[in-house]
Amino acid sequence: MTTPRPFAAKATLRLAAAMALAVTLLSLAAMALQYRLVETRLMQAQKTLLSADLDGLAALYDQRRIIALRQAIDYRATAATGDEMLLLMDRNGQPLAGTRKDWPASLAPSGDTFTPDNATTFTEGQTRWLAVARTLPGGFPLLVARSLAPVDATLAALRRGMLGLLAALLVAGALVGWLAAHSVMTKINRLNTLADRVADGALDARLPGPRSPDEFGLLETHVHAMLDRIENLNRATHRLSDTIAHELRTPLNRMLQKLSKIEGQPDLTAELKSEMRQAIRMFDSLLDISRAEADQGTGGGLVPVDLSSVAAEVWDLYDPLLEDKGLQIEAHITPGLHILGDRNLIAQVLSNLLDNAIKYCGAGDRLTLTLTPEDDRILMRLSDTGPGLPEDIKPEAFDRFTRAERDRATPGHGHGLALVRAIAARHGARLTLPTTEKGFALEIRWPKLQQSD
Amino acid sequence: MSDMERILIIEDDPETAAAIRAEAEALGCQTDHRDTLPSGIEAATTVKYNVIVLDRMLPGGDGVDAMANIRAGGSTALILILSALGRAANRVEGLEKGADDYLPKPFEPEELRARLRALLRRGTIQVLDNDLLAFGDVEIRLKARTVHVKRNHVPTSPKEFELITYFARNAGQVVTRMQLLENVWNLHFDPGTNVVDVHVGRLRRKLEEAGATAIQTARGEGYIFAPLPA
Repeated sequence: MTTPRPFAAKATLRLAAAMALAVTLLSLAAMALQYRLVETRLMQAQKTLLSADLDGLAALYDQRRIIALRQAIDYRATAATGDEMLLLMDRNGQPLAGTRKDWPASLAPSGDTFTPDNATTFTEGQTRWLAVARTLPGGFPLLVARSLAPVDATLAALRRGMLGLLAALLVAGALVGWLAAHSVMTKINRLNTLADRVADGALDARLPGPRSPDEFGLLETHVHAMLDRIENLNRATHRLSDTIAHELRTPLNRMLQKLSKIEGQPDLTAELKSEMRQAIRMFDSLLDISRAEADQGTGGGLVPVDLSSVAAEVWDLYDPLLEDKGLQIEAHITPGLHILGDRNLIAQVLSNLLDNAIKYCGAGDRLTLTLTPEDDRILMRLSDTGPGLPEDIKPEAFDRFTRAERDRATPGHGHGLALVRAIAARHGARLTLPTTEKGFALEIRWPKLQQSD
Repeated sequence: MSDMERILIIEDDPETAAAIRAEAEALGCQTDHRDTLPSGIEAATTVKYNVIVLDRMLPGGDGVDAMANIRAGGSTALILILSALGRAANRVEGLEKGADDYLPKPFEPEELRARLRALLRRGTIQVLDNDLLAFGDVEIRLKARTVHVKRNHVPTSPKEFELITYFARNAGQVVTRMQLLENVWNLHFDPGTNVVDVHVGRLRRKLEEAGATAIQTARGEGYIFAPLPA
């Protein structure tokens, strides 16, 4: 039996996710550091270029002031690469020379030196510029700027690379986490399935195949050792009960034989014999219950049985007795329903239930047996209109030695329903006590035999 | 009796063995007793017995497992297993492994005697495929599955017919309720109620109404089918 365990790998998944996240965060920090470093380096390079431009212009200005400056800028402007921006204006704001005609609005000139101090960045269109804006003596505004486009392009490429790397890291982390969780779950699931089978009663269930030389293999070894021990104890209990049966029967046997030798008091011997038979029967049914409970789920000893015919036969066996009791009986048995079972145990179930009906119902009560197929089960329902179970014993109706106070006068030992339950469990059948208006009803859902054809 | 029927008792408890011996001798049989499995197998394969009464938990092993050895040794004896392992599953196991009958301990002497008698009879009746079983006024036709008393048809249910056939095959012998339940209903458990009595009572009434007192109660033991000639 495998039950779905949707959240079972949560622990492993959490661990894998935490590890993946930690690795990603560390790489992210490393990449951020590198990014910062590259950015500083590139800005430094642009600043160096800007400062070289300014040095050149300063040398010319020192020689022939504005004239030389204007000639040099004109010359540079004609051979412009687009990576630089130069502009010289006169006092009235008219351009004298440059790569452009107007002064950028967002920029205000400051100072009058040719040093690259307090260079500012400004954006125009899509491009960022590193600029030095000055007002030369005499009121000539000068703008020298270097495009930051190559820097930005490099940084953008770097960012893209980093994002890709990050995504790859996350995907790899998730994949590794899933693989780890999957492999752990496969191994844990083997053990869970085993535990389920053992809980269902298959004490001899073991995991096949070699064990991996890791902590899971060790766990399997330990679980197997534990199951071996439980199984041995169980077997010892079986042996013990068989031995007790044997040892107790021998003295009972002798008593019965000696009773037969007593002459002259036939009534007393008959009574004694009947008492002893009663004791033996109680003892037997206790052993039957323990045996059926111990065999529960093993499936051993069960063979395909025509449940319909067994039910019909037992019904037929009890039919005259039920009629003599004055019960109105009815049986609806769908023919040809098969289960994996033990013919005698099934007959015992029906016999116990019918015995109860005879014991507790009065003349005129109705007794109905139905056997009908359900989806994967066969429903056996026995209901009567007798006095039913008293409310106070309902919860333990299926326990051993349970008898209602009102039935003290009726002979019995209170094992009937306990044996019914044990035998039902032995067959993997579900037992329910549906509530009825009047009387007692019991439903047993036997697992249908899976036919191979 | 010139050629006495022989019964071998393989049983380790001396008192039980003595009780079995008493029952067997009451049936006019000669008995031998062995108290271990190996000596029992040896005896069973060297002397010709009619019936072997075999215990299960014996010094030397389980009687059920020894049945193959006994058969392999050439014994044709009918085997009755008498064991404290008396639950339905044990009984079915014993019968499936080749026992001819299985009686759980503690047993009642009458039950053992009835079963031994049935086995001894089965050993002597050679063929019974005769279609007609006639006992005075009572006639049973096996193929037609009919019962007639004084030429009058007595309607029987299928189970009643099986019941009267089983009685007839063991005519004159005591058959117990457990034997009936095992052989007619094929049920190996003790229902603890008088279910069988009611069926026998009905059959008996039908026969009596038709004019044949065929079934008698053997007090505390079971029933005897012994139609008395009118």
